[in-house]
Order: sequence, then structure tokens, then C-alpha cells
Amino acid sequence: MSDNFHIEVFSNGLTLLGRVMDDMSSAAMSLLVRCGSADDPPAIAGAGAVAAEWLGRGAGQRDSRALNDALDSLGVQHSTNAQSEHMQITAAMLGRNLPAAIEIYADILTKPRLEDNTFGPCRELIQQDLIALEDEPARKAGMALRERFFPQPWGRCPYGRSETLEAMTAETLREHVVSHMSPDGGILALAGKFDWDAARDMLAERLGDWQGQARPEPAAARPAGGAEHIAKDSAQTHIALAWPSALCSSERYYAARLGEAVLSRGMGSRLFTEVREKRGLAYHVSANYTSLRNSAGIFVYAGTRPALAQQTLDVTLGEIARLGEGISDDELARAKTQIRSSLIMQSQSTSARASMMAGDWYHLGRLRSLAELSEKIQAVSKGDVMDYLREFPPRQFSILTIGPEPLDTTGLALSGEDA
Amino acid sequence: MQFREAQLDNGLKIIAEVNPSAATLAAGFFVRTGSRDETPNVAGVSHFLEHMVFKGTARRSAAAVNLAFDEMGANYNAFTSEENTVYFASVLPEFQTDCMDLLCDILRPSLRQEDFDIEKGVILEEIAMYEDHPHFRLYDNLMRRHFDSHPLGNVILGSAESISNMARDDMQAYFDRRYSPTNVTLVGVGNLDFDAMVDQARRTCASWQRLEASRVAEPSRPVGSRGVITDAKLTRQNIGLMCQAPSGQDERRFAAQILANVLGDATGSRLYYALVESALADDAQMTYSPMDGEGALMTSVSTDPEKVAQVLGVIDEVFRKFIDEGPGEAELQAAKNKIASQATLSGELPMGRLTSVGFDWVYRSEYVPLARQIDVMFAVSADDVLTLAQQCNLPNATLLTLGPLEKLPA
Repeated sequence: MSDNFHIEVFSNGLTLLGRVMDDMSSAAMSLLVRCGSADDPPAIAGAGAVAAEWLGRGAGQRDSRALNDALDSLGVQHSTNAQSEHMQITAAMLGRNLPAAIEIYADILTKPRLEDNTFGPCRELIQQDLIALEDEPARKAGMALRERFFPQPWGRCPYGRSETLEAMTAETLREHVVSHMSPDGGILALAGKFDWDAARDMLAERLGDWQGQARPEPAAARPAGGAEHIAKDSAQTHIALAWPSALCSSERYYAARLGEAVLSRGMGSRLFTEVREKRGLAYHVSANYTSLRNSAGIFVYAGTRPALAQQTLDVTLGEIARLGEGISDDELARAKTQIRSSLIMQSQSTSARASMMAGDWYHLGRLRSLAELSEKIQAVSKGDVMDYLREFPPRQFSILTIGPEPLDTTGLALSGEDA
Repeated sequence: MQFREAQLDNGLKIIAEVNPSAATLAAGFFVRTGSRDETPNVAGVSHFLEHMVFKGTARRSAAAVNLAFDEMGANYNAFTSEENTVYFASVLPEFQTDCMDLLCDILRPSLRQEDFDIEKGVILEEIAMYEDHPHFRLYDNLMRRHFDSHPLGNVILGSAESISNMARDDMQAYFDRRYSPTNVTLVGVGNLDFDAMVDQARRTCASWQRLEASRVAEPSRPVGSRGVITDAKLTRQNIGLMCQAPSGQDERRFAAQILANVLGDATGSRLYYALVESALADDAQMTYSPMDGEGALMTSVSTDPEKVAQVLGVIDEVFRKFIDEGPGEAELQAAKNKIASQATLSGELPMGRLTSVGFDWVYRSEYVPLARQIDVMFAVSADDVLTLAQQCNLPNATLLTLGPLEKLPA
């Protein structure tokens, strides 16, 4: 599990990361630059999401069709997404096609066309995504919970609102993209079968004179938190809740991941056992750790028929609270083996490696080898997990439900009440 | 990379693609049974049984099964389709013995009444969950309409009614009939010891009783009907089209894969450029499903209810133009490159490779190394794709839409 990383920081502030994996055939790229949803100007919220579409509509010498055809002809699997903190561009392909793909992405970053005539359909697609959320209550519950839980503007719905999308023009969006999407602080990670020296030289030539300064981070506003019910005549009641956890960059991170694993990793985990296996209350129940740079939480979701929703919520909260009473040696050992195995499994995917590297650099400013990750997980004791749970007790909940009837959340320590 | 095969006296086949340089291994039981093998009184039993397989055996309780998988850090699950039920796990090589022991054991579940009753609730939740996902509702109803009385139209999950009424003994009878070792293949890929795998299977599975597990294979006769399911609660209109396509045994399946990519790949295809790039639809895709003696091409589109007439017109135009001209050379190459990239990326993970190796065997009793599979796909010509498009009769596909619309536009 040893890793030989390559790191190169260009003078314009862009960091290039590389991990050559010679026994693979593929290569993957993960690029993080500013211009995520948190950077959206409030009046045109949804800007990042529309920009993610617009960036693919022509760059340099290529118009929209030619650009897409160029990626297609190389067989590149690609996506561009506005996440909260970044614009994320990912691509995976046969390793031999990486140089040609780099050429294309260099154009997208430095010479996006952003033309008036392609703006309309891009905005319309995001308007449709926003409307389609109404037909997908599980997804909507997750997004609406993030909006309550994370400090604004980091939790905001990437699709904006109908009036902000309406207010957006090609001109306002172009100005936003040009001023925010800069190399400064950007991270480009490559993993898989490729020649590091050649890739680095090529990127230095194509992106080295890309200019622009990172804008100051937006000011963080206190999250709304609390409880909200959205009435909907849905087949299930969708329950989404979250409470604060340790940041990805903190020393408590590894204990947090083990606590999360005891609660929800595998079918023998506590939530799965108590909610699904013993009581048959839900098909889907899970807890997931999520960290932004300045805020982290454990996010729980359960979908259940309305008549069982209150019991599902109560059992779920009971298990979350019970975590504070202690975990067993067996549970800790299982959780460690699970995380170690999954690290090794991820190491076989070039896409997963590239994403992990970009994430590490963003959160920690350095790269962790799989060996280091594995050792840190191995070193966590039961006492460490309990210390973590004392520092981040399951309180200050934010909860969001969608379904025919609201649930009783009076027993819940909501955020804002005990802060 | 080495291919190995063996067979137990009771008919259980064991195959593996052994790759000593892989960091992990994946193994799975492929049972040739699914909703198409069910009678109406036990609709959904294949999938319900898949859940029950994790609920314990003569020597393990339900909780013990879950804990055993978790203790080896396994990535494990199962899925049920119209014609296959697959149980799989991926582990580090040091856990091969434990993993094989567990997989072999759970394939002979106890089906205890108490577990059965609790799990019924979970299945009813799963049915309710898909109710809140329009895309799945459309798929189930389109399959039923397209295949009509053919068993491939059976809904995988069954209905709330069929599940509520199902008795434990009906499931046992279905299990006894369908989980005969002659109907099951044990598949391994990655860094594994094949001889040890066979020895272990022999110790645990040799006692499995061999029974007749045939499959009724009357050909389907789709008529290309058109229908509407009105749901005023939805905001988007979901459109599905389905037409006949080459089966999983048909040599033309590679051409069908390319056809679906050229016409309906999500990031660049005829339908993408005609519908999504212009924002007439927020999603438009075509997928190819090779099945046992049957096949289907499904087009799915999500759009505004008021744009349905226009969208249907565009789809018809795209299909008609394509069966006149076939693919251009550049788009043919792009489709092949995309399929090759996708197969390579998924083949780098033992879990991805497992389903590919397993289904090659289940459908055609053959092993095809990934590189050869890609070569065969690259040999497909533009004419092959054109001929296939004409044979599939795309413009006369079965059509179903789900959303607020009350009737189809004229």
C-alpha cells in the first residue's frame, strides 16, 4: 500500500497531483476549482449548476458539438458538477488517451466560449432539474436538509430557485464564471496509467499562463437548523436528519469514521440491525459522514411507510443515542477491517484514487498514503471513539421530513436550542 | 489471467478468472431464476427469497450472517432481475476461505417463519420506495405493456398484495425447484486460489439436491401499443419506448450495444443532441438489455408535460433518419471507444468483472477475456448497426408515458 505521489505547484496557484499506477489500463482526472454553488451570487443562485452545463458548450476552436465529439471520440467518461465548495470536473478513460483529453480540458478551463446562444438551454436544463426534484422526494429531502444543516451559503441547493434562475442572464453568468473560476487554489489530480513527466510538462504549457486570483471565501452565516416538515402525498415518509461531526482535517476524524461505521457500515451495523433486520421498518436506512472544509456532519436517511414513520424515527434516534453508551471490542474490530478493506478496494479504481487525492489536498494540504490511512484507523481505541462522541454528542440536530403527516420531534435536541 | 472451470457431480458449475496480481477477489452465486420464472400467485418471490437468503441457515442466525460478512470487511450484496438472482461478495485474498464458507452456506437458507414475517415488511417498504421514483414505475409498467402476457412482463418486486399474501411454504417450494445445483453457477474473479475454492464448494454444496429447473421459453410477441398512466401528483412527464432487440445469445448483441450508444448515450448521442442539448428534455437515454432468448431496447426521456408532442415527434424523426442512414463513421468509432473505456474501467474492479464473466457463462457457457470482447465489439461495421436498427423496428416501439398528462397527443 505504499504510494509514490507526484506534486507540482504552478506559479498561478494551481496544484497538480499525480499517482502513476502501471498495472492499470485506465487513467482518471479529478479537478476542483472555485465557482461551486457557495460562490453563487445570491441574486443568481444556481449559477454554478448552469455554468457546469455551459462550460461543455464550446471552448477554443471547438463549438459545443465539436467539443463533445472530441471527448466522445476518445471514449472519455466525463462529468462536470457544481458542488458546494467547487466546480468539480471528472474524467476517466484509457490511459493512452489522457494527453489528448488534457488538451481538451485545458481549452475548457482557459478558453470556454460561454456564448449567448448556448446559455438559454443550459439554464433551462437546471430549471427542469429543479422542478424534477418535486418528483423525487428522497433526493429533495437530502438537499433540503443540507440547506438547514450547513452554514449558508455552503448548504444551498445547487439548482438555485426559480426566480434566481429567471434573473440570470448570459452576461451576469459569464462575468461570474470569468471572475471566480481561477487557477489559484485549484487542484488537478491524475491517477492511473500515464507518464507523469509528459503530463506535467503538457499541463505546465497549457495551464501555466492561466491567470486569475481566488476570490475571498463568502462569509459564513449561521445555519437555520431545527425541524421542518414538507407535506407531500408520497408513498413513503422520507426522514433526513443530521448532527455535527469532526472535520475531515481534525485529529478526531478517524474516530468519527469508526463511530459512523459502527452505526451504519454493513448489514450487521446498529441502524441496519435495529431498524431493518429486527423490525422491518425500512428498506433504506443509513448514516453517512460528510465534511466540508468548515463544517461536518453525520447525515441519516430513512424511507418508510407513513404509518411506521414515527416508530422508525424513534428507533433511529434511540440507536444514535445508544452510541454514546459505548461500543464493543468486536464492533470496533469489525469497523476497522471494513474500512481497511474498502481502502484497498478503492485503490483499484483510478477514479476513486484521483478523487481521494484531490479531496486530501483540499482538506489537508497534503496527500495521505493508503498505508497512513490504514495505520491511523488501526490506532483508534474505544476510548478515542468515546472522546469523539463526548465532543460531538448527538445533539443540535437538524431534521427534515417529507410525507403526508409531520412527525413528533419534541424529544429531539434541535440545533439552536442547546447551543 | 487464467480461466478455470470445474463441475460437481450434482451439476453445480464453478468457474473463475484468476488474476494473481489483483489486490482483492470477488465471488458470487449466479442463480438462473427471476420474476419470469414465477407464477402469478407467488409474484415477487424471487426477489423476496433473495432477501431471505441473508436471513440465516441451519448453522447461522440472520444476525450471524451479517456479522460474518462485516467481520471480513466484505463488500457484499445481491440483486434480482427478470431472470437472474446473484449473490456476491468482494474481499481481500486472506478472507477467501471465510467468504466461500459463508456464501456456500447461505445458499441453503432456513427460511424461518419469524424472519419471513419481518422481512415481508422490508419488501413492502421497498415497493413503496419505488412508488416515489417515477423512473422505476415507468420501467415496470413499460415492461408489462411491452411483453404483455409473456413472463418477462412480470414485475420483479411483485405487488403489495402478492407479497402480503405470500406463505413461507410457497417460497420454500419455489426455492426447492429453482435453486437446484444444475441452475446455479459459482463464479470467482481476481486474486483467488481456484483449487481451494472448488474443494470448499465440494464440501458444502455437494449435498445440494439435483432437480429439474427448466424455464418456459415461448417467444414474446410485442404489438407496439401506446398507453398513458396519469398521475396528477407528478410535475414531469416520463416517456418510455421499448422495442425488440437481439437476445443474450445472439451474435448481433454487440451491434445492439453500439446502436444504443450511438442513439442514446447520456453524454453525447443522437437523442442527446436532439433533446437534451436543446433542453427539450432534461434526460434522454437508450439502454440495451440482452436477455435469455429475448432482448429489448429501452428509450427513456423526462420532459415538460406540454412538450410531449414535440418530443415524440423529434424521437420519431431521429429513429427514421437512423434507419435510413445508419451511423456515421465518426460516431461509430466514438461509440466503440466509449464502450471500450467503460468495459475497461469496470473490468479493473473485481466486482465489475464478476458480473461480466458470470453472465457470459450463464447466457452462453463461454469465457471471453476482456480484450477479446473489445476486439469483437470493434469488428462491428456501420452496416451491421444499420441492418439491426431496421430489424428492431424502432419507430413502432411500445410507448408508455407516466405523468400529469391525461392522454397522449394525437
